Amino acid sequence: MSDEQFISIQNVSKHFGDVHAVDRVSIDIARGEFFSLLGPSGCGKTTLLRMLAGFEFPTAGEIFIDGQAMSTVAPNHRPVNMVFQSYAIFPHLNVSQNIGYSLRKDKLSKADFNSRVGEMLDLIKLSGYEDRASHELSGGERQRVALARALIRRPKVLLLDEPLGALDKQLREQMQLELRSLQRAVGITFVFVTHDQEEALTMSDRIAVMSKGRYLQIDTPTKLYEAPQNREVADFIGTMNFFDASVQDVGDGQASIDAGPLGKLSVSPGNLAFSSGQAALAAIRPEKISISSEKPSGGHVVEGTMDAAAYLGDRSHFYVRVPGVDKPVAVSAQNIDQTHLHGDGNQGQVWLSWSNDAVVLLNKD
Amino acid sequence: MSTHTSVTGPRFGPLGIYAITYLAFVYIPVMFLPMFSFNDSVFIAFPLKGFTLEWYRALATSDGLIDALYNSVKIAAVVAVLATALGTLAAKAVTRYKIPGRGPVITFIMTPLVIPGIIMGIALLVIVNMLGIEMSVYTIGLGHLLVSTPFSMLIMVSRLEGFDKNLEEASQDLGEGAWRTFWRVTFPLSVPGIIASLLLSFTISFDEFILAFFLGGQDITLPVYIWGQLRFPAKLPVILALGACILAVSFVLVTFAEWFRRRGVQIKTSSGV
Repeated sequence: MSDEQFISIQNVSKHFGDVHAVDRVSIDIARGEFFSLLGPSGCGKTTLLRMLAGFEFPTAGEIFIDGQAMSTVAPNHRPVNMVFQSYAIFPHLNVSQNIGYSLRKDKLSKADFNSRVGEMLDLIKLSGYEDRASHELSGGERQRVALARALIRRPKVLLLDEPLGALDKQLREQMQLELRSLQRAVGITFVFVTHDQEEALTMSDRIAVMSKGRYLQIDTPTKLYEAPQNREVADFIGTMNFFDASVQDVGDGQASIDAGPLGKLSVSPGNLAFSSGQAALAAIRPEKISISSEKPSGGHVVEGTMDAAAYLGDRSHFYVRVPGVDKPVAVSAQNIDQTHLHGDGNQGQVWLSWSNDAVVLLNKD
Repeated sequence: MSTHTSVTGPRFGPLGIYAITYLAFVYIPVMFLPMFSFNDSVFIAFPLKGFTLEWYRALATSDGLIDALYNSVKIAAVVAVLATALGTLAAKAVTRYKIPGRGPVITFIMTPLVIPGIIMGIALLVIVNMLGIEMSVYTIGLGHLLVSTPFSMLIMVSRLEGFDKNLEEASQDLGEGAWRTFWRVTFPLSVPGIIASLLLSFTISFDEFILAFFLGGQDITLPVYIWGQLRFPAKLPVILALGACILAVSFVLVTFAEWFRRRGVQIKTSSGV
């Protein structure tokens, strides 16, 4: 097996009665990759992770890890370890007994055991915590102990089931960065399950966006955000404005579209196929639209009226009514010199402008 | 705050009087046992005549009683261990595995809890007679096992449901098979429940009269012996002395069980995230 197919999920389905929790999913994950499964609850991401761990077995299809078929391998014989959402720290054992739980078979001397556990405590920056009871640990410390316990045998793959969900916002952001640098340091393939898109974007090499037991798109965080392949992904990752459009002409890497109230645009179709005369969607991110109270010169410009504005400190969100468009257009702007837009008279006219390469062309469905 | 003062403020408010009446109702009859067991008279009546250890001396030399006590302890000890083992395995099965017909199975195991002892006794007597099995401590033990196992299972189900199933999965994930996982995780976390189950099934068996009476044949347990002795008024003070001893042992056991239960509560609260 090549490094690109270090984990190979091949046409895997998992049915619970009539529920198709995972439905014919094929994903290849490369050696050393930080791979995220992202989606709302019930999308099948946790079931897929549990099949990698061996707690569930596929109804159909096969999973290979480092070239080895997993369908008949019990969880305790797989080259993977898992960090549970609840952390599952053994309450009757102290920190070093928890971290060293998997070392029993190695029959290490007391000194060797302590030094192996000590290495892991160094890694997670909890040296001196050896004899702490599990109930004396804070949420962040429990998370680190769970991580050390899963990493001590150097598994080929580390599975993480929403491990940051129980932490408060500041600690979560700190742990995101720490997890990422830890992953680079140990060089182990991470498969990370989360419903938090920001978390997935921050940490992952690649992300599979999942919905209803299938994946919608597998891509790098930048590609997912900048070049979503369909409406669902565009909607799930960040905020997106959609405008009905019709394709007029498809040329070499360019498509001419008529986006109704926005006028005629010339955009890149990416790697999606369009034909002339087809109905499509023109999508623009809120931060790629400029807003001003005076008409800018040149570029694509449309006039609208301010519907609502929200001031968020570093940036503002505006909702602008544009004639001929059903929903108000969302615009996000850095608060550099736009404070005047929040004045009393901001029921007034505003101008929206954008460049051609800000527009993503998507299929209608 | 006003509800607070009504409890701690006036020492003998209505609630205080209620509490004292309740405790008196529960404990005064029981306290008569040790009191009259030291009374120098065969008649259980006031006024007390004087202090004696005669009844305890008679207790120690009564062969029938010692045999009955030995039978009771033997049966209760074996029943406690077997009922707890069966109850633990059954609890593990119904809480951890998706077994077909889970509901009916649980109902089936729990049914002996609600069947009156006398009906159970007659039913078992009929079966034992039909099979031609000789009645002895073994048949009593089987009967007691039947009534103790559901209690044990109830205790163990609540214990196993009380801790995170991910703990057992984590153990498997960390390389341990089902058996090792049981010994390294499930068992240590179940110890408070196991102790409680041992004590409860021991007590159920030790106290039980109807099954022991029906299924004992020539073998006699302590309750059956005591019942037999009640026909002889002169033996009554000896029974009171025995009662006082049992009371003392029960007190120690309950204290021990409570201590263990509290330890269990501590482990449980500490396992929360």
